[in-house]
Amino acid sequence: MLICFLSIYSLISLADSHSKGYKLETIVDGLDHPWGVTFISNEEILVTELSGQLRVVKDGVLLKEPIQGVPDVLFAGQGGLSEVILHPDFKENSYIYLSFSETDSSNKKLNTLRVIRAKLEGSSLKEIKKIFKASPYRETAAHYGARLVFLLDGTLLITSGDAFNHREQAQELDNHYGKIVRLNDDGSIPKDNPYISTSGALPEIWSYGHRNLQGIVVSADGQIIYEHEHGPMGGDELNIIKPGRNYGWPAITYGLDYSGAIISPFKKKEGMEQPIKYWVPSIAPSGMTFYSGSLFPEWKNSLFISALVPGDVRRLTLDGDKVLSEEVLFDTEGRIRNIVSAPDGTLVIVTDGPNGKLLRVVPNN
Amino acid sequence: MLKTIYSFILSTIFITFLLIGQTTSTNMLWLLSIDMPVTFTVIFFSLMHDLINMNVGGAIPVIGLVTVGLLIAFILARIILVWVSMQNKYAYALAGGCAIAAIVLLMPLAFYNLDLIAGARSIYGKGFLIISGMLGGYLFGCMIKSREV
Repeated sequence: MLICFLSIYSLISLADSHSKGYKLETIVDGLDHPWGVTFISNEEILVTELSGQLRVVKDGVLLKEPIQGVPDVLFAGQGGLSEVILHPDFKENSYIYLSFSETDSSNKKLNTLRVIRAKLEGSSLKEIKKIFKASPYRETAAHYGARLVFLLDGTLLITSGDAFNHREQAQELDNHYGKIVRLNDDGSIPKDNPYISTSGALPEIWSYGHRNLQGIVVSADGQIIYEHEHGPMGGDELNIIKPGRNYGWPAITYGLDYSGAIISPFKKKEGMEQPIKYWVPSIAPSGMTFYSGSLFPEWKNSLFISALVPGDVRRLTLDGDKVLSEEVLFDTEGRIRNIVSAPDGTLVIVTDGPNGKLLRVVPNN
Repeated sequence: MLKTIYSFILSTIFITFLLIGQTTSTNMLWLLSIDMPVTFTVIFFSLMHDLINMNVGGAIPVIGLVTVGLLIAFILARIILVWVSMQNKYAYALAGGCAIAAIVLLMPLAFYNLDLIAGARSIYGKGFLIISGMLGGYLFGCMIKSREV
């Protein structure tokens, strides 16, 4: 009876995946809370584990030894080794960038978001340079943001969350809570940042009024910056980021506090940007990629957003700053931590948890 | 016995009202400080919303949290009063303060130092809530004392 049931279930699943035109293949499993993923080549992948290891997947095999030289990270709450990206000229300079939470050396009760640049030489990091530290330090182990992306002009955007307890400070320009920061690739501050000459403002700030930003990507033509952030209870947002803009948190929001209280009864205000899409109830958006590959022509120029709750991927079709449609995909793998585009045009999904997996989305044929 | 239960329910509701009111007013005051259009109507409807939703729509119902905290604290206070000579109203005021202190100080330890009750994020907020607990305990002590007299 059981065998019969399982056979029928397998047949239905097989038929279902064939009808969808794609299938999922496991690249590796056994990753400890995987978070950030980047491709050195189609065969060589760097993966961060929140617990502090930078792992290498080569030719479909998870190398036993992690990359040496990664700084100590604070692995607590939502904190740990987070994003990894390559410098746009990685082939020439071998630079990679890592973001992670770090304990304050003079007060172990405090911590912050740190970003470093390092040279990847063989299986070690060399010439480590600290290029950013979110200030002030926070006492909470949550809402770090910690995503990184390079713009076409070679500058780096860093997302910095509101630390949960400091949401009101996302509206002030003298701190890094709830901000997107823009730096040159060496950590210096670009001269054309929007608040470079504003008295009392930190010159590295690019935009403000954010909550916990865990997805930021640039469109294929480099013209549009998409960012998503966790709302509180409801109110997750997808925004188009422009320099010097205020995205409203927590003065305007579509969500409620976890206690059930109203954070703000206001949803719109002049001078504060509206999301191009928001989700109530929350989907807990955790990562994002702009698909420009050719392996799935029907998906070209779609935005893929991974979600932790209930655990799926949202494909959004876009027309500039308008979201035209939303499709739920890959909802059988549990909490999805991230989604990235591979050089060969496939998509790679990262599942969350102590036994995280990398899954490749490939065409059925 | 019935009056004790009635007194307990009343003090629980009193503390819950102060706790929720403090969270609402904290949020509204900040919105006012950044020139958001906060009117009396906005405050009234926000308070009404929070009084309902913080008890039925949040992650943890506030009234449940206060009830459990006060129940433990008042039972301990009643036991201690067997050996310690102290007026009821002061003993229960201390117990009420301790119950709310435990909620606002210990709960964050379970959630990566996050203060889930927004009004409890500042030291002043915590202080106000602990005083609210003391007032609720004092009310309870006075009510059961009047029964004994």
